[in-house]
Amino acid sequence: MRRPFWFLHPVAIFIFSIIALGLSLFLYIYWYVEVSTGLKTVIEKTNLNPEQFVAWQTWVVIMVLSILVGIILLGIIVVFIYQRKTQALYRAQHRFINSFTHELKTPTTSLQLYLETMTKHELPREKQLKYLHYMLEDVARLTDDINGILNLARLEAKVAGVEFVIVDLVEEVVEFYRKNEQLFRGSEILVNKSEDQCYYCSINHALFQMVLMNLLSNAVRYNENDRPQINISFSQTEKMVQLCITDNGVGFEKSQAKKVFKKFFQIEEESLTHAGGTGLGLYMVDQVVRLHKGKIVAQSDGPGKGAQFVVSLPRKNPDLNGDTCS
Amino acid sequence: MDAVNRKRILLIEDDAHIAEGIALNLTLEEYEVKVAENGIQGLKVWKEWCPHLIVLDLMLPGIDGREVLKNIRLEDERLPILILSAKGDPSDKIGGFVDGVDDYMTKPFNLEEFLLRIKRLLTRDQWQQEQDASLTGHTTDQKPYTFGENQIDFSTGLAQCRNGTIQLTEQEIKLLKLFIVNKGKPLSRSKLLEIGWGYSKGTSTRTVDNYIVRLRRYFEKDAKNPTYFKSRRSLGYIFDHE
Repeated sequence: MRRPFWFLHPVAIFIFSIIALGLSLFLYIYWYVEVSTGLKTVIEKTNLNPEQFVAWQTWVVIMVLSILVGIILLGIIVVFIYQRKTQALYRAQHRFINSFTHELKTPTTSLQLYLETMTKHELPREKQLKYLHYMLEDVARLTDDINGILNLARLEAKVAGVEFVIVDLVEEVVEFYRKNEQLFRGSEILVNKSEDQCYYCSINHALFQMVLMNLLSNAVRYNENDRPQINISFSQTEKMVQLCITDNGVGFEKSQAKKVFKKFFQIEEESLTHAGGTGLGLYMVDQVVRLHKGKIVAQSDGPGKGAQFVVSLPRKNPDLNGDTCS
Repeated sequence: MDAVNRKRILLIEDDAHIAEGIALNLTLEEYEVKVAENGIQGLKVWKEWCPHLIVLDLMLPGIDGREVLKNIRLEDERLPILILSAKGDPSDKIGGFVDGVDDYMTKPFNLEEFLLRIKRLLTRDQWQQEQDASLTGHTTDQKPYTFGENQIDFSTGLAQCRNGTIQLTEQEIKLLKLFIVNKGKPLSRSKLLEIGWGYSKGTSTRTVDNYIVRLRRYFEKDAKNPTYFKSRRSLGYIFDHE
């Protein structure tokens, strides 16, 4: 690989332009002072009234020059920061493409392998069934990955006319769990609900399902226990409704609490490389929650100590007609 | 083929479905197969079971496939190894071949082609061994390695240094080989641990320091001011000589 010259590096260019700018400011002032002293001697020689010209003018000019240079400097810094961010995003995207193709290749390889095996050999029926089941699982993996990308595209396009309905959050979660129970077989999910309490907020059904799916499957995926435990609880304040999902999974460093929501971010932990994932899930969760005018916060006491995700959504009053909860 | 003559194949692959599918096919082809789901386990099985061939995935939990390959190559240069990876860039393939792999296939792969390549690799290995057997007496094809006043004979594990002749331990030999292969290039402590010992990151790097102290005591004129095994601040160690 060809290494570009070091002085073409953005950081070097940035430093050079700042030095050049500072130097030019110094020279402007230096020359201005020089010229005005020259002028002063001329004025003195010609016996004009010196106060008319020099004193305050000098300072105004220097001030204006400084302000202008300051604005240019600010401009350079802004451009520089943007450039860095774009570059970081570009790198992240590249990493994402790599990990995503890998995510796609693994189930494809498995599918091809079993199909070829079955073409080649006559296997007993029970084995056939077992491998067919594997293949179905691989197809499900592929579908998940593809849906992830499609959802992302839809979200980024900021679909106009996302429909919101006011629902009871507890009901929504219970309903979701009931529908997807088979996905979380082998893990213990506890929904803490009190009978007479309702938590109303305005959500888009499909998008919110995606949030739940991502948070719960993360809790199971990034979990090294034989029986992952997930605890879902609700609370509310005057303005917000909070949904709290706690797991006993691998957790993360405290410093990464914000980063987990970044696009393409994945915790670079050696033991997790096999867990797969694309680094999109939590980014999408964050985007969806924002779309609902809410926010999501991640907490963990450190690696191996489990994680907690708190989704806060604006509290809404339920429709007046036909609700059993008060 | 009877049970005694069955070729042993070690498969290092972390995806359970793929591992089972490959193992099934290799077993149907009358090979004896063991599956390791990560690099550390893979190295363990390789040492204990002495397979005739290794099928290696690159992206593995724990230590990476490339490190597994390098570790094996320090001890066994001839063992046929086939990389089977989703990484298909030329740079990945070149990297694999530089580290001494015999064959490289990308996922998704064609089963028939895979099985034929395995067969061919094993046949070539068989021929090589027969040839070696007929050329008895010339087993030591490695010349002793010399640096400064030191001389190391890797076939016997004996080193001639200023303290006279010493018998090196297996681990010392491995570490020396690793340094010689990477002569002039700095090696980080964690890299040394991964390749030399097959430990994953996070293990104490003190072990490495202790071994370096030993190597310096053997081979340096002044162990306090080393000329061959130098420390590089924040980088690790570098081995170099004229």
